[in-house]
Amino acid sequence: MGYILTKEGFDAVVDALKEQYRLYAPVLKKGEGRFTDTDVVRYDFVETAGQIELEKKSDYAFKELLTPLSETLFFFTEDAVKPADADLRPVIVFLRSCDLHAVKRLDQIYLANGKDRDWFYQRIRDCVRFALIGCGRTCADGFCVDMGSNRSTEGYMFSLDEVDGKILSDVKAPELEGLFAEKAERAGDVTPRYVTENSVRVSVPETVPNSIYKAGLWDEYSTRCIGCGRCNFVCPTCTCYTMQDVYYTDNGKVGERRRVASSCMVDGYTDVAGGGQYRKSCGERMRFKVLHKVYDYRRRFGYDMCVGCGRCDAVCPEYISFSACINKLDRAVKEAQSNG
Amino acid sequence: MAEKNPYIPFPSEILEVIRHTRKEYTFRMAFTGEVRPGQFFEVSIPKYGEAPISVSGIGDGFVDLTIRKVGRVTNEVFERYKGQKLMLRGPYGNGFDVSLYEKGEVVVIAGGTGVSPVRGVISALAGTEEPRDKHVIVGFKSPDDMLFRDDLKTWAEKLDLILTVDGAPEGYAGNIGLVTKFIPGLPIRDVAEAQAVVVGPPAMMRFSVMGLLEKGFQEKNIWVSQERKMCCGLGKCGHCRIGEKYVCLDGPVFNYTESKDMID
Amino acid sequence: MGQDINVKKLKKNAFRYSKVRGETASRVRIPGGLVSAESMVRITQIAEKYGNGTIFVTNRQGVEIPGIRLEDMDAVNRELQFIIDDTGVNQQERDKGYPASGTRNVVACPGARLCPFGCYDTTAFARKMDQTIFPNNLHFKVAFTGCSNDCAKVRMNDFGVIGMTEPQYDPNRCVGCEQCVKYCKKRSVGALQAVNDKIVRDPDLCIGCGVCVAYCPTRAWTRSREHYFRLVLLGRTGKVNPRLAQDFIKWADEESILKIVKNAYAYVEEYIDKEAIEGKEHVGYIVDRTGFDEFVKWIMQDVQLPEKAEVASRLYWDGKRYDRSNNLK
Repeated sequence: MGYILTKEGFDAVVDALKEQYRLYAPVLKKGEGRFTDTDVVRYDFVETAGQIELEKKSDYAFKELLTPLSETLFFFTEDAVKPADADLRPVIVFLRSCDLHAVKRLDQIYLANGKDRDWFYQRIRDCVRFALIGCGRTCADGFCVDMGSNRSTEGYMFSLDEVDGKILSDVKAPELEGLFAEKAERAGDVTPRYVTENSVRVSVPETVPNSIYKAGLWDEYSTRCIGCGRCNFVCPTCTCYTMQDVYYTDNGKVGERRRVASSCMVDGYTDVAGGGQYRKSCGERMRFKVLHKVYDYRRRFGYDMCVGCGRCDAVCPEYISFSACINKLDRAVKEAQSNG
Repeated sequence: MAEKNPYIPFPSEILEVIRHTRKEYTFRMAFTGEVRPGQFFEVSIPKYGEAPISVSGIGDGFVDLTIRKVGRVTNEVFERYKGQKLMLRGPYGNGFDVSLYEKGEVVVIAGGTGVSPVRGVISALAGTEEPRDKHVIVGFKSPDDMLFRDDLKTWAEKLDLILTVDGAPEGYAGNIGLVTKFIPGLPIRDVAEAQAVVVGPPAMMRFSVMGLLEKGFQEKNIWVSQERKMCCGLGKCGHCRIGEKYVCLDGPVFNYTESKDMID
Repeated sequence: MGQDINVKKLKKNAFRYSKVRGETASRVRIPGGLVSAESMVRITQIAEKYGNGTIFVTNRQGVEIPGIRLEDMDAVNRELQFIIDDTGVNQQERDKGYPASGTRNVVACPGARLCPFGCYDTTAFARKMDQTIFPNNLHFKVAFTGCSNDCAKVRMNDFGVIGMTEPQYDPNRCVGCEQCVKYCKKRSVGALQAVNDKIVRDPDLCIGCGVCVAYCPTRAWTRSREHYFRLVLLGRTGKVNPRLAQDFIKWADEESILKIVKNAYAYVEEYIDKEAIEGKEHVGYIVDRTGFDEFVKWIMQDVQLPEKAEVASRLYWDGKRYDRSNNLK
């Protein structure tokens, strides 16, 4: 059922939701950008509707709730292990369609890759539900249309679009119908807004021949990329992590194990015990990342990993465009195919 | 949540510590449960953290884990002694299907710490009915780097063992040369059917497989084991992914028909 | 007919005494180094109409219009009015040009308006300083730089202001990639180290350059809300004892710095060598004479530093002593 609310009406909805849910939403963090007096939009818990950033796309993704940048898993002694407590109160995460599609990718890896489910992911995931922020116009870097993530028709409790000073909501969760009906100005037909065109277009190759893995197209990134990993840390679909053990005692018997977000672009990612390193150059790392997002993941799970949110493009300090790279890849594949 | 938490390790007693070289030790750890050669455990190494370690031996109530002391990775564990405990998770990965190698001609080529994951395979070969059809080429950097010296003696008695070192001080009586040097001379009668297992550093594996293919081995009869930095063993952490494969889930043992398309 | 020109007045009016008899150059002041394109057009027009068609860009971010006939000074002053208004320079009488030249143009690097490392808007602060101290005939050099790179070379000024940020660390956002450690070591002073896979900052060593913030990929490091400054004192070039300015205050605030520089004028008026040629004596040489403590007493009058500020009780300068020996053999 759709509802049209005044801003005050929506404020009242948020107030009511707060009694049952924590609200996790994009927030403009003033002065917390990379440069002096610049801002960053990233996710945080909010208390009021006004704190939710509805205009700008978040620089960092919602995934920090499900897969925290740094998460203590458990505490250990020599022969006992105790999982760390987590805040398991229910959460509503406000996100856009591209990100809602990303949730499926996170679930795929953490819950359905291999026979074991990730216990720590699962326990947070079980507490999380979603609110869809509509997109009235395309963002600058996104290519969600070509990645098929521009529209979501399910998987959210309610949607929210700000149009002409009113909040439009498509309510999917039956238990919220009463609340919205009470606070809304009126009921009406609401379809969450979604974009049908992006200014960025990508052409994803269907298959990638082995020759492309060693092709010259990756070489430029060895000199351009600084291996900082921002593209991975902001990506709503990147799931890699690294274990860290911290010791409270000198004998190394008592401490905690935590996992931190990891990046296939940074030094150390492929180091093995013998001192070997599998992908030394940033060009090789770029190849590994790009092919995973638009090919290797699909070979395993049947659909592409990248949702086309464009955050990696926006955040790259070296102006490396992921979407441009997909198109370079596509051209290289076509060339390789035409050369037989 | 009732579901078992796969991240929680279990304590395992160190039953014995066997020193091979200045750098390499085998820890015999208490373990009962199904395990195959080529699988690995995530071992919590005090003051370092978890590291994936191949099973180098399997016996009644124990597994052997051979740990190489490199960097700061595995230094600390060597100061531990019999009777103490280490935290383990696993075993993970597919491991070798030893039954494939019981009959007929088999070649195992292993380099350095790559001997660990195939030690169980080689021991099994030594106990088969036609051990003289089982050829094993084992290479180390130098005589000082040799692992499993007792095993090497036993293997030499039972099967066709070629032990070689990359380099040695003057006067060394044994073979000197890379493992690949010995592939052409292997006395294989039916190369179309012979099985091969290759484990070791990336370059050694690449050139060994090339040598085997040149000799006429079939791709489908060649098996390799991949070493990667597996943080979880569960298909989540991503470190061991190569293409669409996860070494911890789909490997570490791969048939060459698969592994040839796995480009790092 | 001989020209009857008051050269001292000419100099104070920001015209240069030229080696070419009958000619001068107009010295245009651009506080903070930022000027509108329209003003540049006006400068160009003056150069074409009254000058020799060239413009000289000075070391202190001003411009000089050379080749002006002495008799055209009044006309040039009238045409300078647009630029003076546009750059917000204090003036007592309209259409009469610049009222002083002793206190030099206040210099600024591009700072946070452009530069990724700039810790504050250097031009804005430079203009505020210019508003506070200009016009004045006393010879003062003040310069602003956005970060410890000191691209503006503020350490060669009487008063140098270096931007600082106090890095804020959120361990919950830190993944232990140690890029901050690496870049702090390679591009700065190496004030960071990893302990238990999290980062520890040595607050004494940290110069507040913000390199860690710039290179942190996760926003674990962010800038402090406050903009902080390092105030360095009494650097100079020149014939007797050129030397670099030394640190006086770390983690200072804007208001205190404005007041300190303003206070220094009263000190100089009190202690300047009354016999100084053309009333020009560098502050540093006066301090060499009165002692540093007396100088500090004057400049710190009514200054309320923030709690975080650290103040040096003694400063030691070195530098070249031309007045002692020049024998390089």
